[in-house]
Amino acid sequence: MRAGGLRTLIVGDLRRNAQHFILASIGIVVGIAAFTFFLALGSGVRNVVLGEIFPLDKLEVVPRTTDIDLGPLRVGMGKDTLDDQVAKSLGALPHVSGVFPKMKLTAPSTAVGGESLLGNDMRTELIADGIDPALVQDDVASGYAFKHFDDGVAELKACESDEGCDGKMEYCGLRPRWRADGSELTPAERQQRVCRHYVPVMASNHLVEIYNGTIRRAHNLPKLNPEFVVGLRFDLRVGESMVDASKKDKIIVERGRLVGFSARAIPLGLTLPLGYVGQYNVFYGSPEAASTYHSIIVDIDSKDNVAAVAKSVEDMGFDVADSGAEQAALLITIFMMVFGFVSVVIVGIAAVNIMHVFFMLIYQRQREIGIMRAVGATRANIRALILGEAALVGLVAGCFGVVLAFIAGALFDTVSARYIPDFPYKPETYFSFDPPLLLGAFAFAIGFCVLGAALPARRAARMDPALVLTGH
Amino acid sequence: MIRVRGLHKSYRSGDGSSQRVLRGVDLDIARGEFLSVVGRSGSGKTTLLNIIGGLDSDYEGAVEVEGKRLHEMTDLEASAYRNNHVGFVFQSFHLFDYMSCLENVMLPSLFDRKGGAAADARARALDLLDQVGIAEKASQPPMNLSGGQKQRVAIARALFNRPSMMICDEPTGNLDRRSGDAILELFRALNQEDRITLLIVTHDPLIADAATRCVRIEDGQVREDSGASVRASDEDGGADGGVDAGEGAFEAEERA
Ligand SMILES: Nc1ncnc2c1ncn2[C@@H]1O[C@H](COP(=O)(O)OP(=O)(O)O)[C@@H](O)[C@H]1O
Ligand SMILES: [Mg+2]
Repeated sequence: MRAGGLRTLIVGDLRRNAQHFILASIGIVVGIAAFTFFLALGSGVRNVVLGEIFPLDKLEVVPRTTDIDLGPLRVGMGKDTLDDQVAKSLGALPHVSGVFPKMKLTAPSTAVGGESLLGNDMRTELIADGIDPALVQDDVASGYAFKHFDDGVAELKACESDEGCDGKMEYCGLRPRWRADGSELTPAERQQRVCRHYVPVMASNHLVEIYNGTIRRAHNLPKLNPEFVVGLRFDLRVGESMVDASKKDKIIVERGRLVGFSARAIPLGLTLPLGYVGQYNVFYGSPEAASTYHSIIVDIDSKDNVAAVAKSVEDMGFDVADSGAEQAALLITIFMMVFGFVSVVIVGIAAVNIMHVFFMLIYQRQREIGIMRAVGATRANIRALILGEAALVGLVAGCFGVVLAFIAGALFDTVSARYIPDFPYKPETYFSFDPPLLLGAFAFAIGFCVLGAALPARRAARMDPALVLTGH
Repeated sequence: MIRVRGLHKSYRSGDGSSQRVLRGVDLDIARGEFLSVVGRSGSGKTTLLNIIGGLDSDYEGAVEVEGKRLHEMTDLEASAYRNNHVGFVFQSFHLFDYMSCLENVMLPSLFDRKGGAAADARARALDLLDQVGIAEKASQPPMNLSGGQKQRVAIARALFNRPSMMICDEPTGNLDRRSGDAILELFRALNQEDRITLLIVTHDPLIADAATRCVRIEDGQVREDSGASVRASDEDGGADGGVDAGEGAFEAEERA
């Protein structure tokens, strides 16, 4: 049969029976719309959760604390220290593209500041991590720096005010009270004002999201835009705690400055260059503290290799910190499967409906089918005709379904933007209409229509032309 | 050209019993013959023609066309045979009402595996409509046409792929006298000028007279009726015959 001929017949038939097909395909439209909507929602939410909240292309290696594996061959003894040696061997693992040690600030500390932003100074117990500055260089705001300035004592330039010092990372302040070796400066030395470097600090977007989403509204404070928060100055008081009784004579007071936001910064707390944290930990602890890490971030070249790297890490005797990403991913997958299944059921029922309509139509059109056979149509031609009609119905229904899903998604986003209060990581759009999803939706619509028409097409193809033409 | 030997055909009815319609039909048809087939209503004329035309393959016996057994043809071959070698004309026209007359005539081109340009098919269809005398109706749907005009469209369609044989099942059964005569003239011309073999089932004595040969189906077998002048309709005492004639009377020429 000529392709053009088939098209002519299909289009003609669809036009004649448009009403039947419209009714029959409503189910397909609704099902495809539901399918597209929920899967786009699922993958949109997955993008936010896995892309922004729990990035999946890195692992956090931590010492193995307890070893419950008591198998006869493996009396596991997890190593409990992460040092440069371990970092090096982690870096040598296949698929690992970067290794970044991380150290917790073990001394109690507080931060005071925020008047410029919030109208009042706030004091907060500070949780801080030190990381390899290389890890976050891309996220440092322009004009700022994130590194260990390692201020000496002697060579600092004297100054009267901040104007006498250089750039965004310096201020005019008092000398540090202790030298690196732990000895104290004389009171006279401590009266001199010199140009000092701010302790650069990075924060996680989580912090802003949580502040904007919850704390802000609870305390009626202004909404923060991360861009305007960068540059914030505050006092960093290491050795002082709001809860513990502090040894007042051993408090290090520094000026800190927020130099940027990074997904690699710790979610709740501030992130400092590793050098500072090592220095503070040594000051309040032992000399080994400078080279003992609490965890090591391992960058992996692709999401697909995360499992393999995690396996190697465990084989080395370390654990992988649970980021929550796996549970989140599982939840989203379950959500997508449940709603995907519901959509499949809707489309499946619609396909049965399509089948009924086609059975009715081929019964109505049996004389025409007989005529086509008489003028030379093969059984295969008749089958192709019916299936072609079904495919076209599926394509059109798929288009309407996808458009409906787009509209519903846009509506959902609009309602969310206007009426749902901010919450952490509230996205501008909840949907990700990826090309493969749309292709899948069309294939699904066409596939089920063709499937529904399969039996009617078979019956039409097997119809006895002599019988239908003589009308017995 | 066509050789039928020992053809048996029975229909199974709903209650499981079977009705033997053709019981050992032997028939030879030569190229260029104008054969009229007569017989009582229900005697199996339509059944025989459908088998010869390749529309019905559920039978016993042998039907050969140009030495090739229809029975052994695949669906594709049988379809090609209907498409290229046979032109069907039916009593009730069997046109597509949602297509124009031109599209109806072009219908066989859609299923022609030899393929041809759509433009050529159009030209051919217009030509044929002109030949059967209704070129001016080309763009209209057949429902606006009179019975005689509809049958001309159907004949044009049957002629589309230059068949060697036309199988016509009571082609004038639904037509009034005048239209019937005109259609008969068309057939005569096709047979004499274009050498198309004609197999016409008819109750119309004029057609039976015009035929070069007449066969009668009786008791499921073929009886040669060399005297073509025998009045076919007289033999057809059945109720069907009466209805056929009555239906024809309703069709008024040039109703459109
Ligand atoms: N498809 C069929 N199923 C059952 N019986 C049929 C069928 N076609 C024809 N018959 C029966 O076979 C007999 C012959 O039919 P047919 O060939 O149409 O006769 P004619 O054309 O001579 O009037 C009739 O009795 C008719 O009822
Ligand atoms: Mg008949």
